Amino acid sequence: MRRWLLTAIGAVIAGFYLFPVYWMYASALKVSDELNANPPTLIPHAPTLAAFRWIFERENIAQFMANSLVLSGSVTILTLVLATGAAYSLARKKSVWMDVVLIGVMLSQVLPPPLLVTPMFVIFRQLGLINTQLAVILATTTKTLPFAIVMLRTTFAQVPVDLEDAARVDGSSRTMAFLRITLPLARIGYIVIGALVFLLAYGEFVYPVSLLSKKALQPATVGLYGFVGADYSDWGNAMAFASVFVTPVIIVFMLLQRRIVSGLTAGALK
Amino acid sequence: MKGHQRLRWERALDSEAIWPLMAGFGALYLAFFVGYPVIYNLIMSVQQVTLGNISTVFRPFVGLDNYRKLVDDPLFATVFQNTLIFVTGNVALQFLGGLALALFFQAAFPGAAFFRGMILAGWILPPLVIGAVWKWLLASDNGVINYALRGLGIVSGPIYWLSDPATSLIGVTFANVWFGVPFNMILLAAGLAGLPQDMYEAAALDGAGPVRRFFALTLPMLQPTIYALLALTTIYTMRAFDLIWTMTHGGPVDSSNIFPVWSYHLSFELFDFGGGAAVSTMMLVVVFIVALIYVRSVRTERVS
Repeated sequence: MRRWLLTAIGAVIAGFYLFPVYWMYASALKVSDELNANPPTLIPHAPTLAAFRWIFERENIAQFMANSLVLSGSVTILTLVLATGAAYSLARKKSVWMDVVLIGVMLSQVLPPPLLVTPMFVIFRQLGLINTQLAVILATTTKTLPFAIVMLRTTFAQVPVDLEDAARVDGSSRTMAFLRITLPLARIGYIVIGALVFLLAYGEFVYPVSLLSKKALQPATVGLYGFVGADYSDWGNAMAFASVFVTPVIIVFMLLQRRIVSGLTAGALK
Repeated sequence: MKGHQRLRWERALDSEAIWPLMAGFGALYLAFFVGYPVIYNLIMSVQQVTLGNISTVFRPFVGLDNYRKLVDDPLFATVFQNTLIFVTGNVALQFLGGLALALFFQAAFPGAAFFRGMILAGWILPPLVIGAVWKWLLASDNGVINYALRGLGIVSGPIYWLSDPATSLIGVTFANVWFGVPFNMILLAAGLAGLPQDMYEAAALDGAGPVRRFFALTLPMLQPTIYALLALTTIYTMRAFDLIWTMTHGGPVDSSNIFPVWSYHLSFELFDFGGGAAVSTMMLVVVFIVALIYVRSVRTERVS
């Protein structure tokens, strides 16, 4: 009996905590009269997709979303390619130099983009890359790469060295043993880390808003900012925009929830 | 000849030289795109950088003028105070909230892991979305929080959360605490799960109650996790830029302006890149010190 009471309390806590997410969806479905009703209605009385139609027709959210996908997809690929070698050697080779690299990686993991964006802007301006998606991809990768290296290193460390040694005894080179044995065994890690890197890049705001002024290139974070940054906001449409933008994140999270939890704790504390 | 070449190729793939080579690409990338900007930032902070000379590297050297101007600015005291309140408030509230949730969900009841996992959803959301949703929740006229507070009889009139200088910092702190609590909860839950259970059984046999066990056993044993977590939360709070920029823009009248927001405002709205770089450099020094504490506590934890 006491256990089920705890379950009920747990459900109430989770429900209370997640209320803002529910409120986003509920507000997106309301007509504007109901949106401003007092008292507010907990469940939309006359749910409508008018706000969604508006953001697709007038706000061109499809373009913003496409840009977001291109940017975060490219960041994910670049990050995983660059992280693989570094993470693997950090997991297998112990030396003073590797320690130096590891500490450097951990330090760069914590540098906040708002503090790096000033030099980034000036450097990319000198390289003539302002208003290109390449600039945003390169800049965002500085945020995701250290994270991916730290996480992948933990994944590789869990693959027994004995398996690689056995392959090497059979005549494989070090590189081949890595490609044939270790990489396939780490595939789950790649899926989870790739998903997290994608989500990080998908939510990135500071770099695109500073490096891209052409509307046609901007991702959905910048599009959403255009909505709610102003003093007055059309909340029904803003919440519809936020819902469309964030639903893929929530789906990915639900699919990988358990693995994300274990991956996060391992990455931050080891 | 062909066989000889093949042998060399295979030997190359097998050689020890593979280690620095593999680590090299990632390390070089970070050196160029993180290390270089950090140093470049330092250089810009002692130069006069305007839109006119932004494309050259050789700009007028002004020594510490940028820093002097910032410290003499009456805004400095305001921003300093705001940052201090925002960071301490966030670190304390996120930690306490996370600890309370971690302890609650540690109890064995059906669905504990499921509900705990659901709460993590808040941490995975993009800060821009959190800023947008919270701005709507805190809206003064039709916001649901004002409605709830009035309904419960806590306040009589609407609170102008984000447009009143007296409450704007509190408003953005709410949103950022909501965002950070799950991360604290998950790391503390992992720390709690790793504690040796036999010591608790022994302590319980000796007659120590739950409160006593918490202060005498749990807190001391969790110490390395707590240090790492407090350091990480401090650093992550610097990232709250997105959230504040969306919700208040640092205003009204700089009442929610913190250092990262000020730096961005100087560089990208006043085009005083030297000033923006100087603010960034000051914050980067703070972040580096906290990061070193974090790296040290994580590494000692791994050794012990």
